[in-house]
Amino acid sequence: MSEVKKNLVRYQDLIIKIREFFYSHKVTEVKTPSLLLSPTTDVYIDSIEVKVNQAISRSAELYLHTSPELEMKRLLSKGSGDIFQICQVYRDNEYGKNNSNEFTMLEFYRIDFDMHHLMENIVDLLAALGKTEAITKISYAQAFFEYGNIDILNTDLKGLKKIANSLGLSSNYDWAEDLQTLLFVHLIEPKIRQIPICFIYDYPKEQAALAKIEGSVAHRFELYLNGVEVANGYQEIQTANEYRDRFTTEIYKREKISKKISLVDEEFLKDIKDGLPNCSGVAIGIERLFSTISL
Amino acid sequence: MNYSTSQFKNGMKLMLDGNPCSIVNNEIVKPGKGQAFNRVKFKDLITGKTLEKTYKSGESLEGADVMELEMQYLYSDGEKWHFMEPESFEQFDLSEESMGSAINYLVEQDNCIVTLWNNNPITVVPPIQVILEVIDTDPGLKGDTAGTGGKPATLNTGVVVQVPLFVGIGDKVKVDTRTNEYSGRA
Repeated sequence: MSEVKKNLVRYQDLIIKIREFFYSHKVTEVKTPSLLLSPTTDVYIDSIEVKVNQAISRSAELYLHTSPELEMKRLLSKGSGDIFQICQVYRDNEYGKNNSNEFTMLEFYRIDFDMHHLMENIVDLLAALGKTEAITKISYAQAFFEYGNIDILNTDLKGLKKIANSLGLSSNYDWAEDLQTLLFVHLIEPKIRQIPICFIYDYPKEQAALAKIEGSVAHRFELYLNGVEVANGYQEIQTANEYRDRFTTEIYKREKISKKISLVDEEFLKDIKDGLPNCSGVAIGIERLFSTISL
Repeated sequence: MNYSTSQFKNGMKLMLDGNPCSIVNNEIVKPGKGQAFNRVKFKDLITGKTLEKTYKSGESLEGADVMELEMQYLYSDGEKWHFMEPESFEQFDLSEESMGSAINYLVEQDNCIVTLWNNNPITVVPPIQVILEVIDTDPGLKGDTAGTGGKPATLNTGVVVQVPLFVGIGDKVKVDTRTNEYSGRA
């Protein structure tokens, strides 16, 4: 068998095993549109804009989805129950060994799962894919205590700038969350490279994204495989008002750093006006996952 | 001249904390929910130490005026080691401290790479392989021609290298300067 064929079959086996895992857990596979009316509001993710229908005088600007998250949340709010999707996603301004403008995402939502329950579900999925190394679970704050001797949840912008300076790094950042991320990338990621499977959970509330906040932390987690970020999950916020608040904050931040902005997606908020069920969801980068497993 | 993170590449010479440094590794890290960073490993060209820094994409650093030139080692006066650039005949000298381990391998007339920063020499790299003469070693064991064992030998620069038992005083040997290992008879 040629190397190309061997790799294609290996990839196919991965996708088959993922599908079998979800079918056996009664999670429904869905397909949602990838051409959207609104770009993402995510501060550090940029949508790719496409112009369509110019030749038939129905010119419109659409956006390739950066993740199927909001479209799947529309389904959740309408009673879809547990769902998963494997699809291509597209992001502008991405480059590097582990980044590109297009990649494959596995996204799934489990009803009545909290963040920890969802992490357990991912452990089961990894096991089904033959990845059975020991699991490390550590909170964001613990990771900073252990690997950086820093009390990250109780250090304000001024304190974070001081730490960055003491490490010889620039402290020219506008928000605490950006400095938290800088310190995570600089101090923590290199340390967790030795850990095959590492969940980091309970992010500082400034980095909540669309996760539920409780006290000073957001119930958000990331999965790192040998120091490479492979998954990002939330215990999801549920009401349209919460989504409006989060989108508004993100749009404000984009404006502050002179990025292209859009209005809040009112159609989305209308579609989820009855709220999302209590659930947790996660996005997993398939190519990054594929590179770490041997089927 | 300043260089932005998007121009960073291995081998690029930049100023860091007042010292010229060379990029050893440049990794782009883009957290799913955060901005993009460059995690960069540098080698300080003066101290030889490795440094790790993280920059947000778009930050820039000043370039270092660093040149690597092939020069001929002329002589040492005991305090300074003197070199000549063969095209311009310009001469440069380095202190023992800046010479580092190159002291162990350079014989007069040898060519080597001298690194200049703002036209001042800062480091010397000897050729990967040099030929040196054995000036002292214990007599070898008779019949050992396969080089199964080893013994220390002092070479004409003063450096001590493990050599096979058959090597004797006055022999010329090849030495790998990266590992300080004997690599054959010359």
